[in-house]
Amino acid sequence: MFNALKKKLFGESNESKETAKSRLHFVLVQDRTGLTNEEMAGFREEMVKVIEKYFVIDKEGFDIKYHRLADTTTLLINSPVIVRRSTSGSSSKSSRLTETEPENETDTETAAVASNV
Amino acid sequence: MNTRRENAGKKDLGEVIVITSGKGGVGKTTTTASLGAALALRGQRVLVVDADIGLRNLDMMLGLENRIVFNVVDVAKKICKPAQAIIKSKKSNNLYLLPASQTDDKDVVDEAEIRYVLEQFRREFHYVLVDSPAGIEQGFRNACAGAESAIVVTTPEVSAIRDADRVVGLLSSKGIEAKLIINRIDFEMVRRGDMLSVRDVQDILGIEIIGVVERDDQIISAANCGEPVVYNQKSKAGQAFTRIAARVCGEQVPVPTFDSGSLWSRIGRKLGVNA
Repeated sequence: MFNALKKKLFGESNESKETAKSRLHFVLVQDRTGLTNEEMAGFREEMVKVIEKYFVIDKEGFDIKYHRLADTTTLLINSPVIVRRSTSGSSSKSSRLTETEPENETDTETAAVASNV
Repeated sequence: MNTRRENAGKKDLGEVIVITSGKGGVGKTTTTASLGAALALRGQRVLVVDADIGLRNLDMMLGLENRIVFNVVDVAKKICKPAQAIIKSKKSNNLYLLPASQTDDKDVVDEAEIRYVLEQFRREFHYVLVDSPAGIEQGFRNACAGAESAIVVTTPEVSAIRDADRVVGLLSSKGIEAKLIINRIDFEMVRRGDMLSVRDVQDILGIEIIGVVERDDQIISAANCGEPVVYNQKSKAGQAFTRIAARVCGEQVPVPTFDSGSLWSRIGRKLGVNA
C-alpha cells in the first residue's frame, strides 16, 4: 500500500525516461569515443586498477562519461571512494577516512577525474 | 550566433545557418519554414534553401509548390541566373525560397557548388537557412558546406537524440557551432516521467538549447495549408518559433523548461492540485 502511494506521489520506479537516460548514456559513450564494447571494457578495467592502487572504491558505482561542452570534450571518470588506502605518510583526511567501516556503502566519497580530450 | 551576425553585418553578408538532425521526421523542414517566416516577420530578409535534393518539401510547407521554375541545381550548374530561381513567399516580402530539384540525386552537386550558390545570395539576405536532408552522407555534407552555424533539431526520443549527438560531433569537426531545438515535447509526459525533460536532453547532449517547441496539432494544419505556423499566434509552436527567431537575432529570451519543480508542487500536481 505504501509503495503504491509512494509511486503515486513521486512517480518512482515506473519512469521510463530513466531507462532512456541510462540507455542513451551507454550508447553515446561508445558513439563518441568510437571504442568498441571490448575496448571500452578494457579501458574501464585498467582505470579501475589504477584507482584501486590508491583507493578502495565501490566498483558498482564506477562510471565513465564522455562529456561534450561548447568548445571542449571531457572524459569524466566517476568513482565512489570508500576509503583511501593507508600509506606511510597519510594525511589527516585519509586517516579520518580509514577509520570508517569499509562495508558502510552509504559513507562513500566520489572522486571525479576529469581530463580534456 | 550573435558575434557571427555582427561580423556578417560588417561585411554586409547574411549568416548561413544549416538546419539538420541526422534522423528523419523530427521537424527539420517545418523548423526551416517556421523560423524563416518568423525571422521575416521581424523584418529580416530571409532565404530558405531546400538542400534535400530529390525529396523536396520546403516548397509545400510554404505553399509555393506551384510556382517553381528553376531550382538549386539549376543555380549550381549555371543553367539559370540566381535571381531567377528564388520564389517570394505569398505572406511576406522578406521571405524567399530556393527550392530543391525533385528529379536529381543528392550527389548531382558537390560542396563547392553549394558554397557557390550560397555566395550568390548572401549579400541580399540577412539570413540564409539551409534545410538539410536526413542522414550524414553527401546530402548532409552539401547542406553544411557554406554554413557558419547550425541548428540541430531533435525530439525527446532516444533515437533522435542519439542521431543528434552524432551530427553535433560531425558539425564540430567541421568547425560549425551547433545549437539545439527540442521539438515536439509534451510537458504532461515529462511530468509523468515518461519523456526526457529539457534539462535531461541538455545534460545528455551538452550543447546550448536555442528553443523548445511543444507538440502542437496546429503544425499539421499549418502544413496542410502551406502556411508556416508562426502566422497563427494562438499556436504554442508558432509562439515558440517566434521566440527562437528572437534568440537567433541575439535577443535574450529565456527558454521555457517546465521542469518538475519543487517536491511539493510535484505532489500537488500528482494529486490534481494546481500549485
